[in-house]
Amino acid sequence: MKIFWDTIADYNQTTWVAQLFIILIGMLLTGMLYRSNKTWIKTAMKGYLAFTYLWIAFVYYLYFGEARSYHLVMTIFWSLMALVWIWDAAKEYTTFERDRQLDWLAWILLVMPFIYPAVSLARGMEFPQITSPLMPCSVTIFTIGLLLLFSKKINLFIVLCLTHWSIIGVAKTYSYNIPEDFLLAVSAVPALYIFFRQYFRHTLKQPSKPDAKYIRALLILLFTIMGISLTGTFVWGVVNHAFTL
Amino acid sequence: MRRDESLQSIAKFIAEYAAHMMGCGVHTSRVVRSAKRIGDAYETDVNISVFQRNIILTLKENNSDKIHSEVVDIPALPISFEHNAELSALSWNIYDNNLSLADAWKLYNKIVNAPSIDSLFVLILVGFANASFCKLFGGDWFSMTIVFSATITGMFLKQQMQRKHFNHYIIFIVCAFIASLCASTAYLFDTTSEIALATSVLYLVPGVPLINGVIDIVEGYTLTGFARLVNALMLVLCIAIGLSLTLVLVKDNLIIN
Repeated sequence: MKIFWDTIADYNQTTWVAQLFIILIGMLLTGMLYRSNKTWIKTAMKGYLAFTYLWIAFVYYLYFGEARSYHLVMTIFWSLMALVWIWDAAKEYTTFERDRQLDWLAWILLVMPFIYPAVSLARGMEFPQITSPLMPCSVTIFTIGLLLLFSKKINLFIVLCLTHWSIIGVAKTYSYNIPEDFLLAVSAVPALYIFFRQYFRHTLKQPSKPDAKYIRALLILLFTIMGISLTGTFVWGVVNHAFTL
Repeated sequence: MRRDESLQSIAKFIAEYAAHMMGCGVHTSRVVRSAKRIGDAYETDVNISVFQRNIILTLKENNSDKIHSEVVDIPALPISFEHNAELSALSWNIYDNNLSLADAWKLYNKIVNAPSIDSLFVLILVGFANASFCKLFGGDWFSMTIVFSATITGMFLKQQMQRKHFNHYIIFIVCAFIASLCASTAYLFDTTSEIALATSVLYLVPGVPLINGVIDIVEGYTLTGFARLVNALMLVLCIAIGLSLTLVLVKDNLIIN
């Protein structure tokens, strides 16, 4: 755990100016995408996401995370997701069209990366040893928020990879003492349900086997189990923490 | 012949029927038996040569010298136990109830054109099945969750690549790599990560071709059996390549007791 927080401190100390710059570009592109649906803005956002993922892969994991035993696989995992965004940009797969159904949840998720460092500071930690908006879980939550804001046609493979990352996030909450990551896990569950529902909405309209209502029920059951498990884990963690104190 | 159907139209039906059965993963002896049964129903003698990609079929009218031959390609279809059972039942239906060829075609088309099981449903159930494998091999709950997530990621990719008609060997390599790479994140934690990694690719194992291959060899259809086994082993090799790529990356994390 010490190595984990030391590498984060090193990363923040060295790259905070670059991080600030990347975050500002992200905010600018999100605003532009919200106001206009021009193709070049959509492509720029995909390029930005690919760049951010590559940043996480090479700067965060490969360079600063070298002391960690598992940095190489993480580098490949994030590089693969960056490649998918590049493929997406080339094929114009994700349309970044607004669905306007759950904008409030999308905005909460988009703001969440800025809550990460706030939670770290509230826990009594100090810069540079704090979580920042340009770390894997913050980037994951930003992407989920962005996809939820423009959820008409999304790339489900990216969503599944991010789901996987969210599961890891829950475990990291306790293994590396990062309660901030619980934000990711909690917010990801409803968002992921919506993505699945959206993605299969058109196929469920066609005759299917079993009937569409059973598939929908299975989805609800799956995400209810996920929600209950997360809540249970969270309550267990809080109670455990209280007893430790 | 017992009914008005021409030898050619009967042969076309049986050829289509047998090719579909072979394509959806039925072992050869059952295909031959069912085809002969339909032939009996129309008072014809059916002789079949089954190869990996084609079927050669010869029909001879009982009580006459009329003969007709058909050669048909076996289509590449997804494995379907449902088609297997229903088409087999159709052959009995034709035999027992003296169905006309028009009725037989109607029932056949109804079976093969019925909606297939929804891909989302398959995705989730395959995830649960692989997670259960993880538990069977001694994995803990966290490993099971990781395997579930890794499996649905890999399986989704497989469904999408199959939809885009990628080469299936490439599909197996890529999906085995992605699923095992996702599962290898279990090494980040104190859990049964080796079991998670090993079981994450089990959803790709071509169980039906392997079983059919053995059944075919045992029942004397050595050629098709051997072809099916070779095909299945090639897929297993592809899974091994995909898994090896991940193992090369995580080799430093493998703990040797």
